[in-house]
Amino acid sequence: MKEYDGRIRLVVKHYPYKYRDFSHIAAEASLAALDQGKFCEMHEYLLKKSPRLDKASLISYAKELGLDLPKFTDALDTMKHIKIIERDKKLAVDMDLYNTPTFFINGRKVVGNRPYEYFKKIIEEELK
Amino acid sequence: MIHPIIEIQNAKSLRLAAAVICLVALLVTTASAAHLESLKIPPVPADNPQTLEKIELGKKLFFDRRLSGDGTMSCVTCHDPETGYSDRLAISLSYPTTKNWRNSPSLINIAYNNPLFWDGRAKSLEEQALFPMMSAFEMNQNLDFLEEELKGVPEYVDAFQKVFGGEITRQRIAMALASFERTIISRNAPLDKFLDGDNNALTPEQKKGYEIFTGKGKCTQCHSGANFTDNKFYNIGVPDNPVLINDPRVTATMRFTAKVSGYKEYRSLTEDPGRYLVTKDKKDWKAFKTPGMRELDLTAPYMHNGVFETIDDVIEFFSRGGGVDKNKTPLLAPLNLSDAEKQSLKAFLLEALKGEVTVVKMPDVP
Repeated sequence: MKEYDGRIRLVVKHYPYKYRDFSHIAAEASLAALDQGKFCEMHEYLLKKSPRLDKASLISYAKELGLDLPKFTDALDTMKHIKIIERDKKLAVDMDLYNTPTFFINGRKVVGNRPYEYFKKIIEEELK
Repeated sequence: MIHPIIEIQNAKSLRLAAAVICLVALLVTTASAAHLESLKIPPVPADNPQTLEKIELGKKLFFDRRLSGDGTMSCVTCHDPETGYSDRLAISLSYPTTKNWRNSPSLINIAYNNPLFWDGRAKSLEEQALFPMMSAFEMNQNLDFLEEELKGVPEYVDAFQKVFGGEITRQRIAMALASFERTIISRNAPLDKFLDGDNNALTPEQKKGYEIFTGKGKCTQCHSGANFTDNKFYNIGVPDNPVLINDPRVTATMRFTAKVSGYKEYRSLTEDPGRYLVTKDKKDWKAFKTPGMRELDLTAPYMHNGVFETIDDVIEFFSRGGGVDKNKTPLLAPLNLSDAEKQSLKAFLLEALKGEVTVVKMPDVP
């Protein structure tokens, strides 16, 4: 994002894995962090710390990020953003997507983790 | 010349192709070592003849996520028609929460390959088809359960009855999948035309590459026949992918595979033993199957673990005489190709072996 500052836009959609214990609450954690302006930071934590994504661990990550813990915890307890999460899941199913991560770069579908250079090549092509 | 090629989206050509396959299956010529041949009719086992209905059934199963334990993966997940019947990843996609440890090979012209898998553990496509379904880190499905699950789908019950004259079994699932996979073919590449006598089929650059491939490069020592493989196994010193030891989930997959293969020291394993896990013969340590070479632009990254991202990387590797390993095949020695020779070889590999690939559209999965 830094390399293409102002030229590209990243939109993240949630697709918590249905058989994973903490995937839904982790999605909620990222949105609760978004409320406090720390989505990217929390997202990084989630990827780095997975599969330690139980509630206590998520709260400890929020603490390390300096978030308002009562607000954050309340969001987890009430699944404050569940409608957004369910909306995103429906979008994935409607698009016949089942694998995470799946990327669309100007409509070009890329499935699975890829090295940075892989994305860079596509982005450069799309920016031409 | 009649080709058994199936344009899957066209029912009329499907019927014709299936009929042709039935008629000419016995005329297959076996690729002999150390020289190249134009593409011929693919071999079809006598106990699983190609029929239109079976191919269609196999295609539906190929796209059906019921074949995986959690319903998120089909064969297409790792063998996507839109990405060269592979997934364009160094290490193949895997069952959610697990990691794979090897590259997903393209299915293009897989009908000509035998044995199957990088380590050759399956002797036929029929045998191969069940492995990924059962694998804990691939589709993670229980085959007894799958049989019952498919028996609950009336369209499948009818289709199996029509195709096989009986109920759904794992063997018949595999036979249908194999029949479909035999239709995934790249044909009419410039080299095929050249080998069939059209001297103008290759550009001058491609022809130079061809001469290097068959001469100085000694590539046909292993990449021979119509699909550019002798179907044998070699240790060429490919470096291990660092994820084998850097990612605990990949390490777990490697050691699990070694464990179920009967390798006693699996807990301390830090490298991919390759064919050794199948034969337990020391000469096969880190030996992998010679891959076919058609449609190479679609099937990167290369090698059993995807460590080479481009065909240039591969050419450099062989120009150096391969990698370093105490068990490396004596067939490899430095070639010291010039830059011009490398470019010619690249043109040959990427352009002269590129033909018309079977187009597959997603069917209506019941």
